[in-house]
Amino acid sequence: MEQFFQQLTNGLAVGSIYALIALGYTMVYGVLKLINFAHSDLFTLGAYLGLTLLTSMSLTDRLGPVWGVLILAVMVMGFVALAGALLDRVAYRPLRESPRLSAVVSALGASIFLQNTVMLIYGARLLVYPSNILPKTVLHLFGLDIPLVRILVLCVSLIMMTGLYLFIQKTRIGTAIRAAAIDQGAARLMGIDVNRVILLVFMLGPSLGGAAGLMVGLYYGQVNFTMGWGYGLKAFTAAILGGIGNIPGAMVGGILLGVIEAMGAAYLSFAWKDAIAFLVLILILIVRPTGLLGERVAEKV
Amino acid sequence: MKKLLYFALALSLMLGTAHTAQSAKIGLMGPMTGSWASEGAEMKQVLDLLAEEYNAKGGVLGGKIEVVSEDDGGDPRTAALAAQRLSTQGIAAVIGTYGSAVTEATQNIYNEAKIIQVANGSTAIRLSEKGLKYFFRTCPRDDEQAKVAAQTIQKLGVKKLAILHDNSTYAKGLADETKTLLDGVKDLKIVFFDALTPKEQDYTAILTKLKETQPDLVFFTGYYGEAGLMLKQKKEMNWNVGFMGGDATNNPDLVKIAGSDAAEGFYFLSAPLPKDLPSEEAKAFLAGFTKKYGHPPNSIYPVLAGDGFRVVVHAMEQTKSTDPDKIADYLHKDLKDFPGLTGKISFNEKGDRVGEVYRVYKVNKEGQFILQP
Amino acid sequence: MSIHRKNVLGAVFLAILGLLPLFLNSYWVDVLNSIGIYAILGLSLNLIVGHSGLFNLGHAAFYAVGAYTAAILNTHFHIPVLWLLPLCALTAGLFALVIARPIIHLRGDYLCIVTIGIGEIVRIALINNIFGITGGANGIFGISRPSILGLTLRTPTHFFYLILVFTLLTIFLFHLLEYSRFGRALNFLREDAVAAEGSGINTAHYKLAAFVLGAAWAGMVGNIYAAKMTIISPESFTFWESVLMFAIVILGGSGSIFGVLLGAALIVGLPELFREFASARMLVFGAAMVAMMIFRTQGILPPRPRSYDLFETVEGERKA
Repeated sequence: MEQFFQQLTNGLAVGSIYALIALGYTMVYGVLKLINFAHSDLFTLGAYLGLTLLTSMSLTDRLGPVWGVLILAVMVMGFVALAGALLDRVAYRPLRESPRLSAVVSALGASIFLQNTVMLIYGARLLVYPSNILPKTVLHLFGLDIPLVRILVLCVSLIMMTGLYLFIQKTRIGTAIRAAAIDQGAARLMGIDVNRVILLVFMLGPSLGGAAGLMVGLYYGQVNFTMGWGYGLKAFTAAILGGIGNIPGAMVGGILLGVIEAMGAAYLSFAWKDAIAFLVLILILIVRPTGLLGERVAEKV
Repeated sequence: MKKLLYFALALSLMLGTAHTAQSAKIGLMGPMTGSWASEGAEMKQVLDLLAEEYNAKGGVLGGKIEVVSEDDGGDPRTAALAAQRLSTQGIAAVIGTYGSAVTEATQNIYNEAKIIQVANGSTAIRLSEKGLKYFFRTCPRDDEQAKVAAQTIQKLGVKKLAILHDNSTYAKGLADETKTLLDGVKDLKIVFFDALTPKEQDYTAILTKLKETQPDLVFFTGYYGEAGLMLKQKKEMNWNVGFMGGDATNNPDLVKIAGSDAAEGFYFLSAPLPKDLPSEEAKAFLAGFTKKYGHPPNSIYPVLAGDGFRVVVHAMEQTKSTDPDKIADYLHKDLKDFPGLTGKISFNEKGDRVGEVYRVYKVNKEGQFILQP
Repeated sequence: MSIHRKNVLGAVFLAILGLLPLFLNSYWVDVLNSIGIYAILGLSLNLIVGHSGLFNLGHAAFYAVGAYTAAILNTHFHIPVLWLLPLCALTAGLFALVIARPIIHLRGDYLCIVTIGIGEIVRIALINNIFGITGGANGIFGISRPSILGLTLRTPTHFFYLILVFTLLTIFLFHLLEYSRFGRALNFLREDAVAAEGSGINTAHYKLAAFVLGAAWAGMVGNIYAAKMTIISPESFTFWESVLMFAIVILGGSGSIFGVLLGAALIVGLPELFREFASARMLVFGAAMVAMMIFRTQGILPPRPRSYDLFETVEGERKA
């Protein structure tokens, strides 16, 4: 039983990062019906930018760990948001009116481009974050050893996700985003500047992805240029699992996927962990073809 | 008309790449892109440095050495193309490559083209069991390493052993060989044998599972990135267990990832590091590399590629030719205890490196790698 | 262009292609072989993506099943590898049938992740040496070289002709298929599934048939790949391979045979031309993919809308 709860906390921490990245996929998909395969590389970019800014400006030395990390996070999110907007402008906007799968190939190309850009700038070796920033305290809760940082990761992800949810649900801009997701034409007729909504989505999603990258870097301490692929695939799976285009769905999907992985690894086989996760996904989709929280739509007609 | 022009252009591009040989050309096939790109990049650095040094001293056979490098992408199909391309460029020998399956996809191509191939990171046993005349490798085979691993594990007095690999050819091979050697040994039980998924960041799930089996020692046969993360995460879990790694964990970044407090006490097996070799060559190489690139080599395999390069050049000098048959004969029979960057080098009739290569290292409190007696 | 001129041009082109190995070194012949293999894979995926509109990003799975079928049966029972072609098609097709049946009704992007998932499951199964027959990460080696009429295929030039013949055969058969009742039905359901359903076309049935046929064809390419490499390992069947095949179809012009051929030449050929850029070659390749897609948003050679010879009859009536 102890193992079960320990694995549950392991799964929650990983899952919350999946969820944060999944939000980027799901928001872009919601508005544009596009799978932004380059999103995973924006996540990587966030991790690397975080390292550069951290070491070049020695923020945490000057401002202390709390403010240093906060300012760092704001900067990384800002830069990655810009990169996201640029990506949309260059690789996706010219393809708005073309067949959807063309945009997918453009996204795959952009992903290859970004990944190799990171490799050429930073080198192919993995890089290491300074390890003295986050507290190393280990908490003993209910007989489990849980590092404080894991709880922080979970909390920060939850706060950001809740923030995004409230933003989408309660503000005027959020309403505009939801409207554009439902029907772009109608939204335009209602006086919503759809292009600005798209721009906003392409800044919001990647900034969360960038924040996730920074968290991974700070917590796990190592970044490499191919790390986006694994996280991206899992996050995309999570977005689909929850019902793509649906923001709470991405959160539920991410956390669920993290837990499924940890449990599969613990009680079945570690080597088959990813296969188990995909198998569960397929089974869920057979039963619920639009994901757990996805709207019930029949085959697109 | 336009199409015809394009066609002509493409054709001229294709023909333009066929040079004729002037200087002694040595090929390098390594993963310059893809997930193993860090190894390929460093292999190129090592060979560029060595070629520069030889050329400053007058090159070989009266001409300059030219290194022709090709990207194998860490993927068999790309590697086969790289091998075809290299074999049309008038090279006498090729150094590389890293992964065993990747090397295997190119072995026949080089052998049929009569090009000496010296692999630097392909440790799978079967590569040298095919009777290929022109194939050599400077890295020892998996069974060599497994033998040392098994001895070390027994010497440490381990009763319950956990073996963890990452399902790569190399790590699986080493894990399997070690398991075979230790199965049936009295007082030693293998309590865990499974693989993790490489290139992830969070290994707490497998650590939690490992902890349940209460091993005395975990032998992880994979790479330094994962090993460093696991050392760090097991420390966070307050789990005090011995960890040992194979030669792929021999990388200073391991300590950087784990932190020196978590890495302390970590054992690994490796060919001796250049710093621990008495030979002048090794010292000079280490100094030259650090001077040129600002840091010592990160991984042992690029250094092994450097050794491949050096034995090939040495054989050319000794036989006074670039004839593959003569070089192969020389390497098989006449090369004895060549002072390499990773210890003494000789080859047997299969092209495998002979002699005890492996040493045991332990990480100390400061995070330095200390050679164990 | 009249049909006559088209045929002459085609024949000239074929003749040039057939003579190419005489002028090129073994490297470029092997590049052409690679292009050929991916062209056939692209054509097989085109049936699924281009003709039926199914978003399949896991085609490498079927390619792998074919390759492993050939490798396992060849190394264990010493059956000549090319004799196994029909069997490879059968195993890959059956595998596709079993897994596609429950998922074929999924909406576009859900199908995409499911196919990615299947690709990954197959790759992980191969790595974990499922049933103890796939050799794990080592893969399978020592596949015997194929021989045709006593000639053992060894050099890139030998394989060039084998792959050329197989490609031409594929083009011919898929061309016939496109204009058959089956092809027309697929075309209809891709353009308007509801209308197709309304006209009595069993859409799920046709989609499944196209999926299975495409997978079976990829299985045969797997056989040829195994025969050519004589060693196969899971590294050759990653998600990346599926991405390449997908990009070939969409970039070339989804649904068009010549588009797919051109797509294969670009997607496989460009990274080779970019070798001069050393470690930056994949960066240039990624940028080229985006640029080409923007430049030709429908693909480079999209299929022309089908035209039927109405006009001639109308003109004939006028004359009368």
